[in-house]
Amino acid sequence: MLKQITHRPTAIISWLMAFSLYFVLVFVSRADEVSIRKTVADATVAASPAEQRALISSLKLKPAAEAVTLFDRWKAGEIFLFKDDAGLTTPVLLTGTAAPDGSFATLRLENGSPLLAPDGSPVRINPKTVEAAETDSGLRKVMKEVSDLVSLADPDLTKRIRAIQDSAIGQKLEKLPALLALKATEKNQSALRALDESIAIIQLRSPISSERVAACTQLGQLKSLPAYDTIKTILTEAKKASDGPTVLAAKAALKAIDVHVSQINAAGTAFRGLSLGSVLLVVAIGLAITFGLMGIINMAHGEFIAVGAYTAYVIQNLFATGLKLSPFGVSLSLPGMDLGAKGANLYFVVAIPASFLVAALVGILLERSVIQHLYKRPLESLLATWGISLVMQQILKFTFGSNNVQVSSPAWLSGNWTVNDIVFGWNRVFVIGFAVLIILVTWLVLNKTSLGLLIRAVMQNRNMAACMGVRTERVNTLTFAFGCGLAGLAGAFLSQISNVGPSMGQLYIVDSFMTVVVGGVGNIMGTVISALGIGLADQSLQQYLGNPVIGKILVLGAIILFLQWRPAGLFVTRSRSLD
Amino acid sequence: MIKQPLTGRLHTPLLLTLAVILVVVVPLLNAFGYISNFTLGNWGKYLCYGILAISIDLLWGYTGLLCLGQALFFTLGGYMMGMHLMRMIGGDGVPTFLSMVGRREWPSFFIPFSSFPFALLMIVFVPGLLAYVFGYLAFRSRIKGVYFSILTQALTYGAALLFFRNELLMGGNNGFTDFRMLLGYSLREDSTKRGLYIVTALLLVLVVAGCKWLTQSRFGLIQRAIRDSENRVLFSGYATANFKLFIFVISAVIASFAGALFVPQVGIINPSEMDTSKSLEAVVWVALGGRGTIIGPVIGAISVNALKSWASVGATADFWPLMLGGAFVLVVLFMPKGIIGLPAQIQGWIAKSRRAKSPEEPSPLSTPPEAIDP
Repeated sequence: MLKQITHRPTAIISWLMAFSLYFVLVFVSRADEVSIRKTVADATVAASPAEQRALISSLKLKPAAEAVTLFDRWKAGEIFLFKDDAGLTTPVLLTGTAAPDGSFATLRLENGSPLLAPDGSPVRINPKTVEAAETDSGLRKVMKEVSDLVSLADPDLTKRIRAIQDSAIGQKLEKLPALLALKATEKNQSALRALDESIAIIQLRSPISSERVAACTQLGQLKSLPAYDTIKTILTEAKKASDGPTVLAAKAALKAIDVHVSQINAAGTAFRGLSLGSVLLVVAIGLAITFGLMGIINMAHGEFIAVGAYTAYVIQNLFATGLKLSPFGVSLSLPGMDLGAKGANLYFVVAIPASFLVAALVGILLERSVIQHLYKRPLESLLATWGISLVMQQILKFTFGSNNVQVSSPAWLSGNWTVNDIVFGWNRVFVIGFAVLIILVTWLVLNKTSLGLLIRAVMQNRNMAACMGVRTERVNTLTFAFGCGLAGLAGAFLSQISNVGPSMGQLYIVDSFMTVVVGGVGNIMGTVISALGIGLADQSLQQYLGNPVIGKILVLGAIILFLQWRPAGLFVTRSRSLD
Repeated sequence: MIKQPLTGRLHTPLLLTLAVILVVVVPLLNAFGYISNFTLGNWGKYLCYGILAISIDLLWGYTGLLCLGQALFFTLGGYMMGMHLMRMIGGDGVPTFLSMVGRREWPSFFIPFSSFPFALLMIVFVPGLLAYVFGYLAFRSRIKGVYFSILTQALTYGAALLFFRNELLMGGNNGFTDFRMLLGYSLREDSTKRGLYIVTALLLVLVVAGCKWLTQSRFGLIQRAIRDSENRVLFSGYATANFKLFIFVISAVIASFAGALFVPQVGIINPSEMDTSKSLEAVVWVALGGRGTIIGPVIGAISVNALKSWASVGATADFWPLMLGGAFVLVVLFMPKGIIGLPAQIQGWIAKSRRAKSPEEPSPLSTPPEAIDP
């Protein structure tokens, strides 16, 4: 019993202590916050600008995001200086909504509690009649210094790195201590790299020669792109001051960065060439079927691409708020499903198969009505399909208007991915992936399905296949529909990276034919290689000449010369027939 | 041979009458005010297009080469004439397209264009040389059929990209305009316009006559033989590439002259004319008029363009591409010989239906060979 009694007070005491510690902790952290608010509040009513600056500078000791929000409100003129009857000025923030007379309820800036009049009733003020706290440039500068420190401590990694990189701008030596302090606590590798870079850039301005040399060497090792121009300036200055060691170090650093830049450019060109090649491949693969395999010179190929792109547009609107169309004066209203942000991300998954199907259906219609009469007259198929392309463009104009329409990209296609200073845009990565997928599907359909077998048989020798009992007409229709469907897919995909308009197809028609002809008619593999080759050549020339149009003209010239050397393209389909 | 078709018997007198009407009667009617200047200007344009259409037909109808680059040769001729006309504007300084790229002086290649004979020479020489080089490369490696069409299309596309650049010093996408004088005559005078029309009509008549002669000569025979079976001609010992090259250069020069006459009449030349779709449009005229004939393309060019002038204003403007495209599909499918071949086609239908109706049809053996020949 006694034992219990003796024990109880200690337990109580320890409990009390724990509680009090808890309260102290809570109080201290609250007190921190309060003191920031209090400091800012005091600053708003401080007597002189110098006093204001001193108060705000004191916040540098404990940078907190709270201070930055208060600064922003201050700068925006949202802090009002309320003078009561006694002549005492209280900084307040407005809250709630305006009363009919235009007045707002108020909160005391220093602690966020409602401001009460001496009689205990809440004070309401009209922002039009009460003076707002103002800032001058000196004060804003100090505020900026505080908020820079705050962002250096930002918990969000990308924001922190951005702040670290920004801190090097202007090469202010007084920023060094904060950066060095951060370096001691920072754990993240990319943030550390950014820190090293910023510290070195600032140290380029150091009065000590050996520090400058070390900074140059460091930047050279880091292959820092942002430091390039700064090092150049330092180099000219060092040359003037005949500062030998710095000149040497700066030259070495510039050389290292130059090498890095040329590597990045080469990699970037290769990547862009690959993605351009993929675009060519995607737009040409349908033509490789209709023109390459079937021999139909489908000048309406571009319009099938447009059909696919418009299908994506319609699907996007069906997933959103619907679409109003007026084809040929008939007003047509398609209801939307209102899926909001989810729809904007998902519609593309539906749009891909839909654009294939719609374009394939239009293809079937065209084959049955016109193309089937022209298999033996290839040049005339060129003319007829050109007429069809005019008609289709005009129908698209009548239906969707002659302006470009807006097709938005899903969120997962924007953004990019940076590896070692080389930027890979997601949409370009997507382009390449999509091209690989389409080639794979086409190859599987042609080589691993019975339909593919029939297609190849009919395309090699229509009459012979017919004699063997193949229903060649049906195979023709399906093949043409398949080619047109692939063009439609290309359209859905182009809607993500370029404009969608009634005559968009015209942009790709020459390129598509070139790609197929260079690759060798009747050979899918040839089309793949020629598309990648043309894409890489185009981008390399563009990089080398710095002029996209001249590059393109040279590529066209090169293609014409190439066909001198191999008139039937890269891969020749051998046959014994002469004409 | 029972009888020659009607069009064949009256061919030469009919053509002569048409020529007299175009060259003499129409300008006279204009001079006395029966035909407005606007109409005459339009007809001048149509006749230029007629010449262009003949140049396409020489290649496509007679040699089997569908060239989609004729618009390029047409525009090049226009540019050569445009350069002369720009030099003839006179006044101080240089035109805007030069001052815009920081040039204070005329570039040296513009200087000789002050002389009209030099400009004429260039109208022949520049497109001719381009056609020669391109044709030499293409025909040497036996590029034919569709490939030839696609390559000429690419050539046109590349040239248009080049001419759109300001750095080429050829006016960029605005091209040349604001012409004033030609050979000392003001281009704004009605009489100059009439004169230009007469020159165009005369050139058309000359081209028709020349092409008729060419296609009926031994050369024309080989030309058509190449169209129908190039390999047989090749194996018979003819260098088909040279024949094709010759006709390609000739037709480029004809197209170039058409363009050179077109420019002073419409008063502007810019690279948007240098478009594959313009070549294809001209191919439509040929197909509609009747390819493989000399007069068919002219009829096609005039009728399509007259229809276009009528249809592309006002409410029907939006429907013009539909009409053009639709007409093209229908002509390719149902009128392979065009307007010229229509009477024969209708005669064929009538004969067919008559045969189908008459029960006492003679046995196939007794029918003359013409009747069963498709």
